[in-house]
Amino acid sequence: MSPSSVRKRAAKLAKPIAALKQRGSYIYFWEKRWFFIALAVGFGMLSMPLPDGLSQQAMSILTMSVVATILFVTEPVPLPTVALLIIIGQVMIMGIDSKIVARSLMSDSVLFIMGSLMLAVAVVKQKLDTRIAWLLVKMTGTKTSRIAFGISLVSGVLASFVGEHTVAAMMLPVGITLIQLTSDDPRKVRNLAAVLLFSISYGCSIAGIGTPSGGARNAIMIGYWKEFFYDPSNPDTFKYLVDYLKWMMYAYPMFLLQVPFVTLILLITFRPEYRDLSRAVVKLRAKVEKLGPMKSADWVAIFIFFLVLLGWIFLSAGYGMGTIAILGAAAFLVAGLVDWPDVNSGVNWGVVLLYAAAISMGIQMKDTGAAAWVAENFLAMLSPVGLDKGIGLWAAVSVLTTGVTNTMSNGAAVAVLGPIVLNLATAAGESPIVIGFITAVSSAFAYLTVVGTPACTIVYASGYLKTTDFLTVGWKMAVMSTIIMLAAAAVYWPMLGA
Amino acid sequence: MNDDVTETEPAEPEINDPEKPSNERFRIMVCIDGSEESYRGLKYAAKIGQAQETDIVLCYVRPIDQGLNTDGMNMSIARGNMLEWGIELPGIKYLKQGRDLLLASGYMGDDWDEEAFHTDIAGSSTGDNKIEYTSASGKKIVLKLKVARDVASGILDQWELGHYDLIIIGASSNWASSNTFKNFFDPAIAEKIAIHAPCSVLVARELETGHGHLICTDGSEAANFAVKKDAYIASHCQCPITLMSVALDVESEEAARKTVADAKAMLNDMGVEVKETFIRTGDPVTEIIESGPDYSLIVMADSGKTGLERFFGGSVALKVIQNAYNSVMIVR
Repeated sequence: MSPSSVRKRAAKLAKPIAALKQRGSYIYFWEKRWFFIALAVGFGMLSMPLPDGLSQQAMSILTMSVVATILFVTEPVPLPTVALLIIIGQVMIMGIDSKIVARSLMSDSVLFIMGSLMLAVAVVKQKLDTRIAWLLVKMTGTKTSRIAFGISLVSGVLASFVGEHTVAAMMLPVGITLIQLTSDDPRKVRNLAAVLLFSISYGCSIAGIGTPSGGARNAIMIGYWKEFFYDPSNPDTFKYLVDYLKWMMYAYPMFLLQVPFVTLILLITFRPEYRDLSRAVVKLRAKVEKLGPMKSADWVAIFIFFLVLLGWIFLSAGYGMGTIAILGAAAFLVAGLVDWPDVNSGVNWGVVLLYAAAISMGIQMKDTGAAAWVAENFLAMLSPVGLDKGIGLWAAVSVLTTGVTNTMSNGAAVAVLGPIVLNLATAAGESPIVIGFITAVSSAFAYLTVVGTPACTIVYASGYLKTTDFLTVGWKMAVMSTIIMLAAAAVYWPMLGA
Repeated sequence: MNDDVTETEPAEPEINDPEKPSNERFRIMVCIDGSEESYRGLKYAAKIGQAQETDIVLCYVRPIDQGLNTDGMNMSIARGNMLEWGIELPGIKYLKQGRDLLLASGYMGDDWDEEAFHTDIAGSSTGDNKIEYTSASGKKIVLKLKVARDVASGILDQWELGHYDLIIIGASSNWASSNTFKNFFDPAIAEKIAIHAPCSVLVARELETGHGHLICTDGSEAANFAVKKDAYIASHCQCPITLMSVALDVESEEAARKTVADAKAMLNDMGVEVKETFIRTGDPVTEIIESGPDYSLIVMADSGKTGLERFFGGSVALKVIQNAYNSVMIVR
């Protein structure tokens, strides 16, 4: 290129570039507008006169929760920033000693979340997905409806133990491969793609409630129960120590019951173009057979995970679920089945920080009485419409959680709502265990949006689904799940002594 | 956070980056999202490009894989797994479809040189990818798969790389935010691009070639600039030009008539033929969008208001983009 043409071009561009720079500061404020709106709301709340029954400290933490919630939903700053701001606020606004704040950030629940994430990465890295796919197709045959059911069930059972994000990441390539082997043109397999991919994501989502390791939200609720109600000197409160097995007894049957409904809803909503996938299955078989038999490393990985599972079931009461999770992660690293750089880049440590800060904030909501105050006012609002007790209250809590969780990550939703609903249970004379389960379980009902559940986010990344697909089928799923959960709360849980 | 594109990303331009302008070519970026609209935009770009030395860049923006919504396991794990299975990234198919469309229309020949490029982006397991096709005469077509924090900033970043003369984007985009709730308080991507892009932006809505350009002018300097610039584009694609002006009330009709007459004289001096001129009386936004559907697109100048004014009042151009029945081009 000649120098004169470059100069000409530069002169031509000088004006738009200057305009762009001038716009820079405006764009900054526009993109961050929700951050400033949240701050303004915070200042407004802090400068208001104290409402009756609320201490200055309680008002401060309540303000911080509201500001954090706005930031969670609108995301003007990277979410881990909110965690940092919560810590800063606790020390500088509420005047809590920094040592105490630092200590409140780490707990068994946080260790459990961290350990489970490391395990999740280790499991995905084992490349067991082709084996699972093969096993699945062998069991189900080639009919689309049976494959969809098989995908939901297998994804679900695995997800209930290793976490929904793990299984969604493992099964997504299987789903896409089946779709692509059926037809190259995405438009010809749109409905088939929706059925298979939603079978993965909803299979994982409904299973995420099954065990504590199904998702971070479960660990958060377990942490709240222990923190709020457990008193080592009072044997009556020992029932608030919910361990792995106890959680499974409450929630696992609900997951199994939902699986057939998922397939039914998906097949009715998206009538797949192909009723039989034998062509794709044959090609998939050829692909898998190339891999040869299971290697010893595969067996070791399965063995370690099995041990972790047994540890969670039998040893978590004594050592804590977090310790077992971390032990499992250490075992995978020692066995050389996963490299640290892989773990390090696969785990989003910001999320761990976020949950740590959110739980710490939740505990202060309870300690300062702010959660009780909100709960009482909320209950006063519900009582004129008769939703202040029994199944009405359960439904109200469930709808509230479902609503909140569709706008933010479900872990954050449980962390924010947990203290309030548990106080609500106390104030209304309901069992905190039942209300806690309803909250944790309802937080999995974020079927309507892409960001609602981890599995949905992962499946959406395939590029096969539209955001509107989630709405079309999601509401049916939400209604089905809510009915099954309320039935469990009314009939099944009382049998377990809740 | 390891999920964010680092701020310094565009700061170090590659030497001899073929996306950088190397001469006085007309450069069009077409935002491809797989929708019918975006391919119509592409056809239009090909029509403009047919006559003059034009580079066309087809750009698909993929939001960066977020880790926070996946409960702490980074999306890169899932993405890496998909790539190991040999599954293409979303968007590649759409871009290839666009390329095939250009091939079928004869705009692009089979014999063009092909070259692939890759740029790493922090926090993304895949980074930016592009394929560049060059004809013997130096015409370029680029397929670009871009990763960005969000679609709008990805498109604007791409402008920084290529300094395009024109961006074409579909009005209703498949790229609506993945968070349904957010759509309520986030303006549409096409609108965002129209506001922020430093170059001309064509917001395609039922875009059809062959009905000519309707150029709106109020006689201001910015409008004169727009008239001249669009006349240049329109004359290259042999699109008939119509000039219009809106008088706010009956008294100013005379001024409006003079405005269009002046504009017509200006174009005639440039050697560009004007098919017809007319004026309307009333509210500019309503009159413009009502006159629009008879033409391929409405052409307007950016009225150059600052952000705050836009936020409260909104410029005429922006309101036309929001409410028009057909395509609108904002000229800068």
